[in-house]
Amino acid sequence: MEAVSDAVIVERVLHGNVEAFGGLVERYRDRYARYALHMLGNREDAEEALQDAFTRAYRSLARCDDPERFGAWLFRILVNRCRTVGARRGRRAKTFVFDETALLSASEEHPAEQGAWREEIDRALQRLRPEQREAFLLKYVEELGYDEMSRLTGVGVSALKMRVMRACDRLRELLSEVHSA
Amino acid sequence: MRDDDNVKIRDVARALREPVRVDASFNERVMHAVREMPKHSRLSFWRRFAMPRTITVRPVAASLIAASLIVFALVGLWHVSDDLDQAAKPIAKAIFPPKVAPDQHVQFVLVAPDAKKVAVVGDFNGWDASHSAYQAQHRGGGVWAVLATVPVGHHRYSFVVDDSLWVADPTAPRVVDNDFGTTNSAIVVEEQR
Repeated sequence: MEAVSDAVIVERVLHGNVEAFGGLVERYRDRYARYALHMLGNREDAEEALQDAFTRAYRSLARCDDPERFGAWLFRILVNRCRTVGARRGRRAKTFVFDETALLSASEEHPAEQGAWREEIDRALQRLRPEQREAFLLKYVEELGYDEMSRLTGVGVSALKMRVMRACDRLRELLSEVHSA
Repeated sequence: MRDDDNVKIRDVARALREPVRVDASFNERVMHAVREMPKHSRLSFWRRFAMPRTITVRPVAASLIAASLIVFALVGLWHVSDDLDQAAKPIAKAIFPPKVAPDQHVQFVLVAPDAKKVAVVGDFNGWDASHSAYQAQHRGGGVWAVLATVPVGHHRYSFVVDDSLWVADPTAPRVVDNDFGTTNSAIVVEEQR
């Protein structure tokens, strides 16, 4: 069966069909949960940011200029929500819940060693500066081009390249320590 | 090449690209929040504008709005076209509030810049917005006016904009119509001496 396009669902919601919005939640939930989880490092904050992004998107849906690209528009909202939630969390006592990241994302087939390695990656990721983590995730995990990243974040391309490079250097450094330990 | 180092960034990225599963209850939480919000309703601007609704206005704000309407009406009258100039005096008299013309005609005036059609309805014409004698003409500058016959006595009336929006005369006393809960305007037509 052919999937209904984002634009069609958006149109239905704008004509008062609230339940149609559930199709967009289902479509983007897991994909964007990954970004929120890696960005914020724990399930509670990630779900809060994601839920907030969806509800804000619903409220402002009439202002979505290109409903065919609803996903990209939602992602921009999510990136901003993660910044806000992350900044608020930064003011609280820092408590990294790495096991929750692993719990959500690790599949059962992972051998214990691989799970431990994966945990180290999550731990190292959370030790990056937030702007470096954001740039790294957008470039390497979400696989966006620098131009799109720039549009999404409002940061210049050269600054983003610098952030990505520093994030990579820092990750290598942190993960090499684990390897050599 | 940096990726030839012990730790390969692309391997790290590949691990992080593994799908994340979110509890299915998440959907219900989002939809619950969404259902609490106002429904979207893609209506035309005019339909939204004409849709009946309850508006709460503070007395201070109401006074300011009334004052603005009076100023707006005066400015509108100031700029009407030449053919209105001759009738300017009766209109100016009729608008604050409508007064009786010698042959018991009353000049009704409404400033409605976005309107396409304005009619006067009241107990004197059976509240019939299609009555040809009570169709206001656009006089320019958003000013709509009609000189209509009204019997001597106390009457209730209202303007009907574009066949759908009932607007009480902003310059006349108001009375609440108990049958429909709407607010109409009141006029007293006296016998000419």
